[in-house]
Amino acid sequence: MLEAHDIHHSFGGVKAVDGVSLSVPPGRIVGLIGTNGAGKTTLFNVVSGYLRAGSGRVTYNGEDIQGEPPHRIARRGIVRTFQTPTGFPRMTVLENMLVFARGQEPSVVRALTRRREAGAISPDLSDRAQEILALFGLAGKRDVWAQDLGAPELKMLEFARTTMAKPHYLLLDEPAAGVNVALLDKLTEAIFRLRDEGVTFLIVDHNLGFICRVCEFIYAMADGRVICEGDPDQVVNDPGVIDCYIGSASGDR
Amino acid sequence: MDSLILFLIGILSIGAIYTILCLALNLEAGVDGLWDLGIVSFFGIGAYTYVLLTAAPAEHHQSYVLGLELPIWIGVLGAAVMGGLAALLIGAPSLRLKREYFLITTLAFAEVIRQIYSNELWLTNGVAGIYGLAPPFSEALSPDARHVTIFALLILAVAIVYWLVRACTASPFGRSLKALRENEPLAMTAGINPFALHIRVFVLAGAFAGVAGAFYVWYNTLIVPGQFVADVTFFVWTALIIGGIGNNVGALLGGFLFIILHDALRFLPLSNDMAEVISSVRTALIGVILILVLRWRPEGIVRERPVTIPVRR
Repeated sequence: MLEAHDIHHSFGGVKAVDGVSLSVPPGRIVGLIGTNGAGKTTLFNVVSGYLRAGSGRVTYNGEDIQGEPPHRIARRGIVRTFQTPTGFPRMTVLENMLVFARGQEPSVVRALTRRREAGAISPDLSDRAQEILALFGLAGKRDVWAQDLGAPELKMLEFARTTMAKPHYLLLDEPAAGVNVALLDKLTEAIFRLRDEGVTFLIVDHNLGFICRVCEFIYAMADGRVICEGDPDQVVNDPGVIDCYIGSASGDR
Repeated sequence: MDSLILFLIGILSIGAIYTILCLALNLEAGVDGLWDLGIVSFFGIGAYTYVLLTAAPAEHHQSYVLGLELPIWIGVLGAAVMGGLAALLIGAPSLRLKREYFLITTLAFAEVIRQIYSNELWLTNGVAGIYGLAPPFSEALSPDARHVTIFALLILAVAIVYWLVRACTASPFGRSLKALRENEPLAMTAGINPFALHIRVFVLAGAFAGVAGAFYVWYNTLIVPGQFVADVTFFVWTALIIGGIGNNVGALLGGFLFIILHDALRFLPLSNDMAEVISSVRTALIGVILILVLRWRPEGIVRERPVTIPVRR
C-alpha cells in the first residue's frame, strides 16, 4: 500500500499542497483530478520522490519513504511517467526498453572485463522486449531512435517502457494530455491489461471523463486540498467538483 | 631517417595523445552528458605525476618533490591513478551541480590547479618547469628508432583506450549514461542513480586523460605549467565536435584530424616573422573549420547513429 499522510508543501508563499492524505491500495486504479494549479503535480512529485515535501509522510507498505531519492523509490517498484513522453530521444526504441529492464546492472567492471557478454543482451530479454513492443504496435521500430517516432508512438513507447520495468506501482502523470480518442482507447486498454497483471495505478489527469472511465476510486483536489473522494459516481455528482469544472455552483443560473 | 617521415611521426604522435583525450572526453561528454571544461586538469596532473615519479631527483637550481626514477610503466600507471583520483576529488562536489554550474566549476578547478603548478616551487619548480627529462628508451635506442618506438606505443595506447571506451559505451553502463544524457529525470525512475554513474565516468575519463598526460611528457621531454592552460580543453572539445561527439569513431578521427589541421602549416618554409603570424592564423583556421562543421554538419563528420544491440546465443 502506497500512502501519503498530511502532506504540506509551499513554493515561496504559495501553498501548493495543504494537508493532503491519500492511499492507493494494491491492485486498484486510483485517480487524482483537479484543475490546473490544484496541487496534483506537486503531490505527485512528492510521492515519486522528485520533490521533498515541507511536511508530511509518504509510506510504502508501512515503511517511510519520504525523502528517498527517485531512483531508490523506483527500485522499490514504484515507477512514474512524465507529462511529455519524449523518452530518451537519441536512443533506439530497444534501448529505451532496456534502460527500464531489471537486472541490467550498469557495472563498469563488468563492461571492461566481460566485454562480449556486456555488449549483448540475453535472448530472453530480447524476446520479452520484442513481445511488449509488439503488444504496443512498435515491433518494427526496434532499432529506430525515439526522436524519430510520432507522438502517438512515443505515448505507446512510454507504456512499453514502464511495462518492461515490471513495476508494482505505476504513477501516470497526465496520460490523456494531448491524446486523441482512438489513442485514448488504446491507453485505457493498456492500463487494464497491466492492472490484470497485478500493477497498481495512481493516475493524475484533468480529463474527468477519462479518469471516471478508468479509475475505481478518485480524489479530487482544489487549491491544495482534497475536496472530495469516492467512486466515480460520487465524485462527478459532488457540488464542489462541479463547481470547479463547470465554473459556477449549480442553481445560480 | 627521412626528416619528413620523422616530422609526420611527430605530428601523429601528438595526434595520438589528443585522440586519447578526445576518447576520454567523448565518454564523459558524448556518451554521458557531462560538459567538462576542465579535462586539462587530469591531463596536467597525469603529466606532473609521471615526471615526479620517473625523473631523477632535483638538483642544482631546480626544486621539486620525489624524483624517484621509477620505471616508465609505473609512471604511466601513477598518472592514471592520480588523474582518476583528481577526478574523484573534483567530481565529488561539482557533480552535484546542474549542467551549467558543473561546466563553470570544472573550468575553475582547472585554473586553480594550473596556479598550483605555477606557484608551488617546492612541488613542481614553478613556472620554470622541469627540463631535460630523458625520453624513454633513450639509452637503448638511437633517436630515430626511439621516435618510431614511442609512436608505435602511442598507437597501441590509442587502440587500447578506444577498445575500453567502446566496451563501456556498448554495455548497460554506457546505456545508463546515455539515458542520463538524454533525460535525467526519466532515467531516475528507471532506477538509475545519476551521481553514482556520473562520478564513475568522470573518474574513468580522468584516468585516461592522466595517461595522455604521461605520454605528453614523452613527446616534449620537459614540463611547464604553460602546457596545461584552458586552450588544451578547448582544443579537445573542438576536435571532438569536428570528429563527431557521441561517436567513438568520431573521437578517434577528430583527435588526429585536429592535430593535422593545426600542425600542417609547419610545412611552410617561412621567415621567422611570418612564422609568428602564421602560428596565430592556424588557430583562426581551426575556428573557421569548426564554424563550417557546425553550419553544415553540426553532429560532426562521423555522427552518432542508432545502435543495433546484438543478442547473445
